[in-house]
Amino acid sequence: MLEIKNLDVAYGHAKALHDISLKIETGQMAFLIGRNGAGKTTLLKTIIGLLKPLKGSITYQGNEISSLSPEEHYLKGLRYVAQEKKVFGNLTVRENIEIAAYASGEPLERALDKVMSIYPKLKDFLKTKAGQLSGGQRQILLVGRALVGEPKLLLIDEPTQGLAAIVIEEIVSILSGLREKVSAVIVEQNLAMVNRLADRIYILKEGKVARETVERSEISDTRGLEEYL
Amino acid sequence: MLYTVLYGFTIGAILYFISIGLSLTFGTIRVINFAHTLTYTMGVYALITLVALFKGYFALAATLSIILVIPISYVIERFIIRRLYGESLDYTFIATFAVSLIGVDTIKWIWGVNPYPLSDPIGTYLAIWGLTFPLYRVLIVLIAILLFLALNAFFKKTIVGKIVVAALEDKDGVRCLGINVDKYFSIVFVLGSALAALGGVLYAPISSIHPYMGLSILLLSFAVVIVGGMGNLKGTFLSAFALGMVMAITARYWSQGAETMVFIVMAIVLIFRPIDI
Amino acid sequence: MKSEESTLNKVPPSHANDLNAYPMKERGFINFLVITAGFLLITPILSVHRVTDFMIFCIFVMSFDLMYGYMGRLSFGHMLFLGTGAYCSGLFIRYISGNPLLAILMGTFMAGLLAMLIGLVIVRTTGACFSLINLAFNQIGFFLVLSPLRGITRGEDGFGVRVSSFGFFNFANTTFKFWFVLLCLLLVFYLLKRVTTSPYGILIRSIKEDETRVKFLGYNTFFYKWLTFVLAGGVGGLAGTLSALNYNFVNPNMMDVHSNVGVVFASLIGGAGNLYGALVGGVVYMLISNFLPIYIHRWEMFLGFSLLIIVFKFRKGVWGNIQDIWEYIQKRKGAPRLPA
Repeated sequence: MLEIKNLDVAYGHAKALHDISLKIETGQMAFLIGRNGAGKTTLLKTIIGLLKPLKGSITYQGNEISSLSPEEHYLKGLRYVAQEKKVFGNLTVRENIEIAAYASGEPLERALDKVMSIYPKLKDFLKTKAGQLSGGQRQILLVGRALVGEPKLLLIDEPTQGLAAIVIEEIVSILSGLREKVSAVIVEQNLAMVNRLADRIYILKEGKVARETVERSEISDTRGLEEYL
Repeated sequence: MLYTVLYGFTIGAILYFISIGLSLTFGTIRVINFAHTLTYTMGVYALITLVALFKGYFALAATLSIILVIPISYVIERFIIRRLYGESLDYTFIATFAVSLIGVDTIKWIWGVNPYPLSDPIGTYLAIWGLTFPLYRVLIVLIAILLFLALNAFFKKTIVGKIVVAALEDKDGVRCLGINVDKYFSIVFVLGSALAALGGVLYAPISSIHPYMGLSILLLSFAVVIVGGMGNLKGTFLSAFALGMVMAITARYWSQGAETMVFIVMAIVLIFRPIDI
Repeated sequence: MKSEESTLNKVPPSHANDLNAYPMKERGFINFLVITAGFLLITPILSVHRVTDFMIFCIFVMSFDLMYGYMGRLSFGHMLFLGTGAYCSGLFIRYISGNPLLAILMGTFMAGLLAMLIGLVIVRTTGACFSLINLAFNQIGFFLVLSPLRGITRGEDGFGVRVSSFGFFNFANTTFKFWFVLLCLLLVFYLLKRVTTSPYGILIRSIKEDETRVKFLGYNTFFYKWLTFVLAGGVGGLAGTLSALNYNFVNPNMMDVHSNVGVVFASLIGGAGNLYGALVGGVVYMLISNFLPIYIHRWEMFLGFSLLIIVFKFRKGVWGNIQDIWEYIQKRKGAPRLPA
């Protein structure tokens, strides 16, 4: 479904990604792990079109998408959730979803139901300004926003960063419920979560793919993976 | 003393009309538009011509002037502003300044350099509490308040308004939700320019009209936007009236110092709250 | 020993045309010759008085470019320093002593002092904030000389400056003024060249590129920015004092905010961040503003369009493009490029 070949990405003169190649099948959940600065966020940003690669190709469902804008990516079903947990703080939760529904063409009621179904508690917060939500609630709102419309590929950057264990549990269960329905590329440092959800792991080190793991047994070997963090 | 207050509110209202566009353009496109008051000036000159044409139907001439100015601001947006997205600040300054140079010179070419007089279109007075106030000035303040309420409603209730509010905070976030933000920013730009023209048209009868009128009020608008906060609607409203008041009160005691006082206030604000662009 | 020395001073033939290959002292001298020759060349075409005028403006442009081209800060109020220099030296001559040299020192010093004081506040800002706060101070200064200080500055009318000769320094003589200003220009050029190629200059340029990184390296960037501001202000003031002496009067036009556009244009058209570019730009702008209005009635419109074209197409300015062409020719010749 998503195939990246020989991707090079740079910030000005500084190269962040070297010759990245990876592949994700439909319905799979792939995880990107690696140290801070390894290039994981850069990779996601390039896939969604916020950054343009120097060379290489990104193919999605057979089509080359590396030159498209983020708006065009959205229409193709790609959804990006950034690392900073930025919601539209000055708007209410309901209005956040309203904006998410706007471009997708999905009726607001249906969008709201969809988000409510993954996280019913959000109903109490519909009229609250999104800026007043806690970190965990924001993360869930962001995932909810991403699910409006017809998402096909989720790109999520560090969803559990800075969250309490209970909240992490909720997010894991939400993502768990999405398996098989949407494909996903998720950046994570939380190896337990990776263990539970991953079909495939890519380990990034200094802008290169250090290791690709598809075997269940190797994914469970958290000790072995830890050294890459 | 009350006259001073009314005068302050009137100036404040006019500053508000002009600063809204400047503030929004900065908050959204991140461009400091030196040519912003070009539509202000052009609206005024269009007004002069149309008022002569329509022999005194001020409201009609005023409305038409504003409408005429809109295509000009669209052209500026399309060919200059759009190319400045993401550019370093000095180039946006210089480019927009160049546009204002061209615009002012065009005005000088067509209408000449001499000031035009324009009289108060209403001419009647409002009598309250034993004092007479020029009705026209009161009207300007009322229009400003109405505009504030209308803009508030626009940004809170309409989906376009909400998109702009969201984009002011997180432009990439809105883009990643499939919305072409730049298109809406262009609309905001043209709206802001139209409002500046409104300000010009309303202020024309009580100010001096000359080709450089845009520049002096532009500098004051910069001060308003800086004091009120870029992209901050309520802040712009408050600071416009506050600075208008500063001008009026200063003018009462020290007639030429009015504008300078505004700059001193701006400098003080910048010292204690430097903006990071 | 002797043979070592001579090989050190020798420039390999392949680099004979590369100015930067010559050792500093020789290079400096060549620069001076070129500049002097350049100004002398245009003098017969225009007048001595005009060229003196041009040179003063070039000094001003160099001071502006120090802040804009090297440090990356665009000021919309640099005229403040020109005006301060002019007024202070003018007032000094009028009320204290007719000695021109002292007056020049006074004017330059006061401009520098002003820069020191307001620099403490202004230099903390960046970008549009910096531009606008400079503008604000310029406006305030303009207002001050126009209104409250009208008693001494004669407000709108300005006042005349009559200089007494000081021995050899006869400022009544046009030719003398020409050579004196040229000398000042060369001195300023030399000074700024030394400054910008020194480690301090490299530091300033690094601050322009990435201030945070320089801070991380442990440098007190505030101090260096402030120093640059003071230097720019001082040299701007010097240009102001020379203006006052050259015209024999001082008026508020010397502090007019609107004139800032000229400096910016000159800096851009010459090529920002380059001393030679500042000179070229200064001369070009002076030629344009002095002669264009005669031929093209709507010269401000022309200026506007030119600025647009420069911003969108010719970022590097005249000098930058000349440098590019020069380098291209060198490449074709096969000479390896030396670092500039």
